Amino acid sequence: MHKLLSSRITIFWLVAPSLLLFLVMICLPIAMSGYYGMTNWRGVGSYDFIGLANYSKILFHDEVFWRSLWNALLLLAATLLIQHPIALLFSILVTNAGRFEKFFRTIFFIPAVISIVVTSKMWVSVFHPNFGMLNKLLDGVGLSALKQDWLGDPKLAIWCIIVVVMWQGFGYALLLYYAGLQGIPKDLYEAAELDGAGRVTLYTKVVIPLLTPMVRVAVVIAVTACLKQMETIFLMTNGGPANTTQFVGNYIYKTAFSSSLYGYGNAISVIFVIICLIITVIMNKLFSKDVGEF
Amino acid sequence: MKTTSPVLKLIQHVILWFVALIQIFPLVWLVNYSFLKSGDFFGKNILKWPAVFEWKNYNSAFTSGKVPHFMLNSLIITTVTILAAAILSLMLSYALTRMEWKLRKPTMAFILLGMIVPIHSTLLPNFILFDWLHIIDNPLSLILPYIAFSLPISMLIISGFVETIPRSIEESAVIDGSSIYGVIFRILLPITKPAIAAVCIMNFISWWNEFIMANTFLTSEKFKTLPFSIMKFAGQYSSNYGAQFAVMTMIALPTVIIYLMFTEQMSRGITAGAVKG
Repeated sequence: MHKLLSSRITIFWLVAPSLLLFLVMICLPIAMSGYYGMTNWRGVGSYDFIGLANYSKILFHDEVFWRSLWNALLLLAATLLIQHPIALLFSILVTNAGRFEKFFRTIFFIPAVISIVVTSKMWVSVFHPNFGMLNKLLDGVGLSALKQDWLGDPKLAIWCIIVVVMWQGFGYALLLYYAGLQGIPKDLYEAAELDGAGRVTLYTKVVIPLLTPMVRVAVVIAVTACLKQMETIFLMTNGGPANTTQFVGNYIYKTAFSSSLYGYGNAISVIFVIICLIITVIMNKLFSKDVGEF
Repeated sequence: MKTTSPVLKLIQHVILWFVALIQIFPLVWLVNYSFLKSGDFFGKNILKWPAVFEWKNYNSAFTSGKVPHFMLNSLIITTVTILAAAILSLMLSYALTRMEWKLRKPTMAFILLGMIVPIHSTLLPNFILFDWLHIIDNPLSLILPYIAFSLPISMLIISGFVETIPRSIEESAVIDGSSIYGVIFRILLPITKPAIAAVCIMNFISWWNEFIMANTFLTSEKFKTLPFSIMKFAGQYSSNYGAQFAVMTMIALPTVIIYLMFTEQMSRGITAGAVKG
């Protein structure tokens, strides 16, 4: 058995196809971005090697880039402060919903499985100034004064995007907390009750602290998801009006394919990957402490 | 457990139903409007029972929207992707959990790094790379990166499952003369079915819905996938809202149906992947 398991030829054939694909499709492109990021190539024709000029321009002079990161941070803050507490509360409500438990869990997750193309188009129609549902709703409740062009307003558009992203990701966050709740042994609830803990104490003092590992997982996922946000923006506002809803992924795309700054776009890609890596490392370090077993 | 007072129970259910409605309402609206005449869109009501069901909308989605054509493309591309991803990640998982070699741990960590890389950062260089390889506007330009980006999470879930399986089964198979490949595909494949199913369903949903690569690497209509059809349709028939809603309903339905059929597998797959990652 040992001989078979350490056969180099077998290992090679098991690992090589995947590893090759991984290297060529993920690692090579990043290396290529590193190279093109050091040029002023516009997508066609010849180009010059300009060293780190693109990189320093992005880091020190590119307001749109920083705005994109700021938007990711804003989205993250909204996700953690609004979406996650609600998702946690609802995971508790769903767990105690008796025979409707599975039904609610299923309903809440549905937006997450639908194509972003569809949900984005749908929300654009909801926010549509003329026939959009939101303005009709405001008319219906007598708040016609609040009617407006939701996605056309530089101050409001980003919040509309945040609402849509939170709506679509709600089921995902809920699912994580729900799974965390399932992992808590039933006898802990009973023990707390025998000790005279009320329902509120039970959850705030016993259940939620035990959910900490799952909260960490959910936070890590939220951070990466917010950084990687792109399709919703691409389809709803394309970063506009005036780049107020720009996100890094969409900015890369726009720079390369609309502004034809191919070299510059690649430089943003590289910085983007590095930022993602750094943040992941930091989070892993921060969260490596354990809360203990149960 | 303590019994809850009926009032609290009622409040709980009212809140749950309210949010469930918010989550599901836009979809109801989508289906509702897909049966309306374009002229009905500008009325006062939020939902409107169609006076006549406009099946014509679906008709134009099928004919001018070419939904069947794009759906077939999507189906071929996703099927090839999820099958290849499942087989490759099963092989990889076996090598990374059972085989004995020095670079096992670093290789695993390296592949897991792939989960951090955003797909958007590979869009520009892959465009050049695929141009060199002459696979721009070819299904391979989607299938290859789709498989590559499926590998880390699929490997994570499957290898987590493989680790829970006792080695004795494999050992007896080897004693009976089976090769490692025999062990993987004849013994392990049937046992790991739940994990593989979860991986396949998750990959199906994410790649069926994938839009930005499909929009970048496919230039002609021949191979475009389903999410693209609404873009094309909205551009060409911008005033035919009813038909646009019909197209969107048809894009959304397959994943919802798959999800409803495999809710449990998917939930398990997602949570397993999240907790280990």
